[in-house]
Amino acid sequence: MAVEKILLHNVDKPNSHKLDTYLAGGGYEDLRKALAMGRDDLVQLVKDSGLRGRGGAGFPAGLKWSFIPKDPSLQKYLCCNADEGEPGTFKDRIIIEKDPHLLIEGMAITCHAINSDKSYIYIRGEFEYGAQILEQAIEEAYEKGYLGKNIMGTDFSLDMYVHRGYGAYICGEETALLESIEGYRGQPRKKPPFPALAGLNGKPTVINNVESLACIPGIIRKGSKWFANMGPEKSPGPKLFCVSGHIEKPGVYELPMGTTGREIIYEVCGGIKAGRKFKAVIPGGVTAPMLVEKDLDLSMDFDTMAQAGSMLGSGAVIVMDDTTCMVRTSYIINRFFSHESCGKCTPCREGTIWMTQILERMENGEGRPGDVEELERLCDNIFGRTFCPLGDGAVMALRGCLKHFREEFVYHVENGRCMVKGGF
Amino acid sequence: MVEAVDDKLILEIDGKEVRVPFGTLILDAAKEVDVTIPTFCYQARLSGIGSCRMCIVEIEGQKKLQPACITPVMDGMKIATNSETVVSARRSMLEFLLSNHAKDCPVCDKAGECELQDMVYSHGQRKSKFEEKKISLHVKDYIISPVIIKNSNRCVQCVRCVRVCREVVGRGVLGSVGRGAYQEETSFRKGELDCDSCGMCIEVCPVGCFMRLPYRYKARPWDLKSAISVCPYCATGCKTTLQERDGEVVRSIAFKGLGFNDWLMCARGRFGYDILNSDKRLTKPLRKKGDGFEEISWSEAMGMISAEFAKTSPEKRGGVATASLPNEELFFFQKLMREAMGTPNLDSTSRWSGDTAGAYMAATAINEGGRTIYKAVNSDTVFVLGTQLSEENPVIDYIVRHVTDSGRSNLVIVSPRAMKLDATAHQSLRHTPGELAKFLNALILCLYEGDAGGLASLEEVGLSSKVSIAELAKLAGVTVDELRQLSMRLKRSETISILAGTDILKLDQGARGLRLLKLALEAMGKRLRILPILDRANQRGAWGMGVHPSLGPGFSPLSDDEKGLDCYGMLEAAAAGEMDLMYVIGEDIAGMYPDRAFAEDALSKVGFLIVQETFMTDTALKADLILPGALAGEKTGTFTNQVGRVQNLAPIQSPPGGARIDLDIMGDIASTVSKGFMDDGCTDIFGCIQKVVPSYLNIDNKSTGKDCGSVISTDVSLEAFFNVAESPGAVPTEEYPLRLITGNHLFYSGNLSSYSDILGSLLKEPVAEVGPETAKALGLEDGQNINVASEGYLDSFRLKISKGTPAGVVFIAENYEDKPINRFFKRGETIPLVKITS
Amino acid sequence: MLSDCAKEKIKKIYGNYSDLHSVSMTAMQIVQREIGHLTKEDLIEIAEMLDMKPIELDEIGGFYTMYNVERPVGKYHVQVCENLPCALVGAEHIITVIERHLKIKVGETTADKRYTLSRVQCLGSCGTAPMMQVNEEFYEDLTERNVIEILDGFE
Ligand SMILES: Cc1cc2nc3c(=O)[nH]c(=O)nc-3n(C[C@H](O)[C@H](O)[C@H](O)COP(=O)(O)O)c2cc1C
Ligand code: SF4
Ligand code: FES
Repeated sequence: MAVEKILLHNVDKPNSHKLDTYLAGGGYEDLRKALAMGRDDLVQLVKDSGLRGRGGAGFPAGLKWSFIPKDPSLQKYLCCNADEGEPGTFKDRIIIEKDPHLLIEGMAITCHAINSDKSYIYIRGEFEYGAQILEQAIEEAYEKGYLGKNIMGTDFSLDMYVHRGYGAYICGEETALLESIEGYRGQPRKKPPFPALAGLNGKPTVINNVESLACIPGIIRKGSKWFANMGPEKSPGPKLFCVSGHIEKPGVYELPMGTTGREIIYEVCGGIKAGRKFKAVIPGGVTAPMLVEKDLDLSMDFDTMAQAGSMLGSGAVIVMDDTTCMVRTSYIINRFFSHESCGKCTPCREGTIWMTQILERMENGEGRPGDVEELERLCDNIFGRTFCPLGDGAVMALRGCLKHFREEFVYHVENGRCMVKGGF
Repeated sequence: MVEAVDDKLILEIDGKEVRVPFGTLILDAAKEVDVTIPTFCYQARLSGIGSCRMCIVEIEGQKKLQPACITPVMDGMKIATNSETVVSARRSMLEFLLSNHAKDCPVCDKAGECELQDMVYSHGQRKSKFEEKKISLHVKDYIISPVIIKNSNRCVQCVRCVRVCREVVGRGVLGSVGRGAYQEETSFRKGELDCDSCGMCIEVCPVGCFMRLPYRYKARPWDLKSAISVCPYCATGCKTTLQERDGEVVRSIAFKGLGFNDWLMCARGRFGYDILNSDKRLTKPLRKKGDGFEEISWSEAMGMISAEFAKTSPEKRGGVATASLPNEELFFFQKLMREAMGTPNLDSTSRWSGDTAGAYMAATAINEGGRTIYKAVNSDTVFVLGTQLSEENPVIDYIVRHVTDSGRSNLVIVSPRAMKLDATAHQSLRHTPGELAKFLNALILCLYEGDAGGLASLEEVGLSSKVSIAELAKLAGVTVDELRQLSMRLKRSETISILAGTDILKLDQGARGLRLLKLALEAMGKRLRILPILDRANQRGAWGMGVHPSLGPGFSPLSDDEKGLDCYGMLEAAAAGEMDLMYVIGEDIAGMYPDRAFAEDALSKVGFLIVQETFMTDTALKADLILPGALAGEKTGTFTNQVGRVQNLAPIQSPPGGARIDLDIMGDIASTVSKGFMDDGCTDIFGCIQKVVPSYLNIDNKSTGKDCGSVISTDVSLEAFFNVAESPGAVPTEEYPLRLITGNHLFYSGNLSSYSDILGSLLKEPVAEVGPETAKALGLEDGQNINVASEGYLDSFRLKISKGTPAGVVFIAENYEDKPINRFFKRGETIPLVKITS
Repeated sequence: MLSDCAKEKIKKIYGNYSDLHSVSMTAMQIVQREIGHLTKEDLIEIAEMLDMKPIELDEIGGFYTMYNVERPVGKYHVQVCENLPCALVGAEHIITVIERHLKIKVGETTADKRYTLSRVQCLGSCGTAPMMQVNEEFYEDLTERNVIEILDGFE
C-alpha cells in the first residue's frame, strides 16, 4: 500500500529532527503562505478540509478554532496535547522525535489562525528525549525567526514553551491538561465553561493533538480539497495507525483514513505474529471496545468505528491472536484505568478499582459465582455517570470484551483457569 | 420550545414548570418548585466541583446523567430528578461511597449526625455487594492539630475541607494528596498543621473524617443538651450552639441556617467554650485577708458593701463593667451606678478614654442604626481600616474574602501590619503605626486634588490642607502613588463600605480623619456605609445602654454637670487617693490598661475595691472583695453585635458553686446601697431599655434561636466629641528605634479566652514579630530568643520574622499568659517605643 | 536544600508562564533530577520560592506518579511497562527475569541502592514492546537476554 507520506515525510531522513533537514523539504513555506492569508480564510480552509481531531474524539479542528473569541485584546492560547497516554498509541512520539518542526510549523499556523501569541506543548514526562528534541527545535526556530517577535516580517509574534507532565494519563483530557499546566493536580474541570472561552489561566484556549496540528502544513500546501478527498467523506485525510501486539511488523504507518483492519494487519503489517490465528483487535487504544474477525473489513474511520460499537480513538491498533486470554486482557486494561482514575468522581474512583479487584481475583483463579454479573452491574453503574470520559472508557473496554468473550469469563470463574491455551 | 419571558428561562422539573433567571443551577431551580435533590460535595458557598455524582439527574435528550449542582439550566429543559434511572444511579453512588468506607459507625463520633448515614437511610442500597479488600489509607486515626484528629478511611472525597480552607478561611493548608482511590485530604506530609485552627474543615466534613479532638469519644449527638447562644469572644456576634453532656459543655457548634454566621465560626468560638468547664472559676465571695483571700458568704459580702459604702461620697465612687455583659446587665449597671450609688463615674473599658470612644462612635455614626455585613461587603469597594480583621474578627475576614474573591467587590486594606486578608485584597497599604490620622488626611487631599472649592469646604470642618500630600504621605509611611491609586479606586466606586476597627480607638486617633473621609466621600456623592469592627462581644450594646461617662442610654449626650469620669479618670483619681469605692465587673483593668504599673498602683489605692469576676484576674487580686459572677453560657440576655444585630443568649448551665448571675448580684447591691431601690424595680429590664433607648424599639427579645432584630437609627448628635485632641504619634529615638504595636491574637481576645485550655493548647510560645528588614538590620534570626525593652520594662520573647511587618515595627499579641505587655506602655502613650536586644 | 544550580534553572522558566503557580511542576522535576527523589524540605523550599503553600506541592507530588516524594529510589530506576501491548509480547516475563536477576521484587530497591524496580503504564513504545525506562532512557524490544545485558551494562 504505497501512499504519499505527508506526516511521515521526513522521518526516515538522516538528522530528520534538524531544522536544515526540514527546510530542505520545503519547511516553513506553509507558514509563510498562511501568514499571508486572512485569519477567517485560514479557519475556513481547515473547516473545508474536514480535518477531525486525531487525539481521540474526532472533533472538527476548524470548528474548534472558530469558537475562539475574536476580541484582539484577549490573551489566547494554543496548547498542543502531546500527552500520548492512550495505551497502544505511539504516533505523536515519532513526530515529536523525528520531525519536531512539522509540529512547530503546524502550531504556528494554528496560532496565527486563532490570533494567539503564546503556546504550550504539553508533553508527558516520560518523553524526556522527545521534550529535549522539541526544546532544541524550538530554539532553532527562534534563532531563524520562525518563532518569536514579528515572524517573517509580519506583525505576528509567537512564543512557544514545552511543559512536561509527570505521569498521569488523565492529563491527556484537555481540561485536566490545563490544570496541569497551571500547576495543579490533573483533575478535569467542569464544562461549561469550555476551554475555547475560558481555558488556560481562564483565557480562550485551543487544545489540539500533535497529529492534528501536524496535518495543518499539508492542508495549507496541498489545499483543503486534497485532504477532504482522501478517505471517507466525513472523516478524511491521512492517518497514523500505531500497530502493536501479536503482529509481524508492528509500527506506525501513515495510511488514508478508512483503510480496513484487514488491510492494515495483513497487507501493511505482514499478518499475525508467527503465523498464528487472529482473535480480536482493539482499533483505537485500550478505551476502544475490541472488534472481532467479522469486523475486519470495516473502514477504519471515526464514524464507521462508532457505528460498529467501538471507536477509532487515537488509531492505536492492538492485535491479539488466539493465545490471548480475555480475562487477563481485561484485567490488564482495567488495572490501567483504576491506576489512572484521577479520584475526582465517585463512580470512576470507586468503581474502576472494584472492577479491577474482581478481575484480579478471576485471573488468579479465585473467581466466585456471580462475578461476571457483578462486573456487568458495575459497568451499568459507572457508565454515563462519571465526570469525564475516563470512567466510561474503562466500562467500554470491559463491555467490549464481555460482549464477544463472555464465556471465557464464565469459564475462568467456574474452573479457576484459562479457557485458552498458549502463551498469554 | 417555550418562549422565555422577563429574562427568565422556562423549564420543567419533574413535570412542574419553573421560571428562573439565566445561569441558575438545576439544583437551585428545583428548590423553587420544592424538589429536593440530594447532594454531597455541594456546599452552597463553595466552588462547585460536581464530583460526588449524588445529584445527577436525567435531562431529556441527553445520554449522560448530569450533576444538578454544577449544571446551569437551559430554556425548555425537561429534567427528571426521580426517574428510575436517577434513583438507581443515586443508590449506586452510595454503594460506591460505602465500598471503601470504614463502616465503623459504632465507634465514630459522627454517628447520628452523619450525612452519609442519613443519605444511605433515605436513598441507599442498605446492603452493598462489595466483597473485595477495602483500601485502607492508614491504620490508626492521626492527629494533625491540637483540635483535629483524622480518620481518612471514612472519607467520601467531597473535598469540602480543602475548599473551605482555601476559599473561605484563606489558609489553604489542606490538600488532596494521592490519586484515585488512594486520594486523601490531609495536611502537608500528614504533619501538624500551622493554621487558624478554626475547625471549619471539621464542620463541613459530612462524615467522621475530620473530627474534633477535644470532643473525641465524649458524647453521642443524641445524648447532648443544647442551648443557642452567642460567642463571647468578639463583637462579630456569631451564633453558637453550646452542647453539654452530664454537666460538661463538650462542644460549641455553628449550625447552618442559624445566625448570620450560618456555618462559620473561628477557633475562639468553636474551641473557647471550655472556660465554662474550668476548675479555675471563682465560686465563692472572697474577702481580702492579709496577702490572700478568705471565703465568705453572700450575706457577709453584702454586709461589707453596706458598711463600706456608707463611708464613701458619691463623686468618689465609680464603676467599670466590661462590654462582654449582656445589654440587660449593662443597662442595670448604669442605673445602679447613676441612681443607686449616685455617681456619674462609669465606663465599659479600661483600654481607651471615654472621649476617644465618643469620637469613634461619632465617626462611625453608631447612632444610625444597624447594618448587615453581607450588604456591606457587596459594595463596589470594601475598605478595611484600623483593624487586624483576620485575627480580631476572623468570621468577618471569611465573609469579606469569600465575597470579594468571587469578584463582586474591590477590597482595599489599610493597616500598619500584614494580615491574611491581604492575599485577597486588590490593594494593601501599610502605614506607620500611630499615624492613621495623617494617612487619612493625605488620602482626602488626594481625593480632592484639583478641586480647590471642595477642599475649602472640608477645611471648614477641620481638614488641614496646609501640608502637602507628599509630606503627609512620608509621615504616614506610604507613597503618594499608593495614595493616588487608592483614591482612584474610591472615586470609581459608587458604594463604599468602610470597616473601621479598634485601632482607631486604641491608638487614640483616626476618628476625626474617618469623619472627614466620610464627609469628603459623601460630598462626592458616594453611598457610604461605615461599620464598626469591635473586639468585645457587646461593646456596641454597652455604649447604647449608656455605660459611658458622657452618654446616657440611647447615646443621649449628658450635660456637663451630669458627666462623670471615664476609667482613665477614675484611675487618675484613685492614684491621687480620691477614689473611695470602685465596682468593677469583668474588666481586667490591671491587665488591660496601657500602663500596668500605674493601673496596679491606682487600684491598690482605691478605698474599697469590689471586683465581680469569673476568674482570678490581676485586677481581682487587688480587690478588697471579690464576687463570683457568671459567664455568657450561664445567663439569659441579649448581645448587640458590632453592626447592631441583637441576639439572645440562652444558658446551657448554671454558674458553678456559689457563683451567681451578675444581674442578681447587682440587684442585691442596689438594694444594699439604696434601700427600696429595687421595690419599684422593673422586672422586665428589656422593656425598661426600650422605654429609654429608642433604637431598641423594634427588637423582639422573646424570639429564641432566631435574631431579635437590628437596632434602628436614633436622632442624637455626637458631633461634640470631635473637639477632643488626638495625641501625636510617637517618634522613634536612637535608643528606642522601634514602634511597638499590640493587638488581639487569633486565639485570644480579652482576658476570658486566656482561661480556655483548648485555646491555650493552640497557642505556641509568646512571639514578637518583626519584618525581614528590621531583623536584618539587627542581625536577628527567625526563632531566636530576644529581649524587647521599653524605657520602663523588659521581657523576653521568641522572634518571628513575618514578611508583612514593616521596617521599624514590632508586634506582640495581647494576652499571652505571663507576658503583661501593658507594662511596655507609659500612661498617655499609644505607641510605645522599644528596642530589641538578643 | 535546593542547589544554587537548581534554583537558577527554576528561575529561568519563570518567564514561560503568566503565573508562578505554573512553574511548580517543572521546578519539582528539576529538583528531583538531582538525587532522584524529593524531600519534604525540598517541597517547603520550592513552595517558598514560588509563593505557594507546601501542601500544594505535596498534592502535585502525590498525583503525578513520576515524582518520588520522600521515596528514595536506586541509582537506576527500572520501570517496566505492564500495559496491554507490552504484556501481549511478554512484559510479565521480562519483569520476572529482572526480579530474579536483581533479586528484588517490584517496588523494592537492591541493597546496594543501585536498582529500584517499578511497574509503569504505557510509555508509548508499543511498537517496540516489551520495553522499559531506566531513569530517562527508553530501552525497547527487550528480550530475556538483552535486558540482563542492559542492566549489567550500567556502571
Ligand atoms: C481520559 C482521556 C485521555 C486523553 N488522552 C489524550 C492524549 O493522550 N492525547 C491526545 O491528544 N488527546 C487525548 N485525549 C483527548 C483530548 O481530551 C482532546 O480531545 C484532544 O486533545 C483534542 O485534540 P484534537 O481535537 O486535535 O484531537 C484524551 C481524552 C480523555 C478523556
Ligand atoms: S471519570 Fe471521574 S475519577 Fe475518573 S478520571 Fe474522570 S473525573 Fe477522574
Ligand atoms: S452534589 Fe452534585 S456532584 Fe456532588
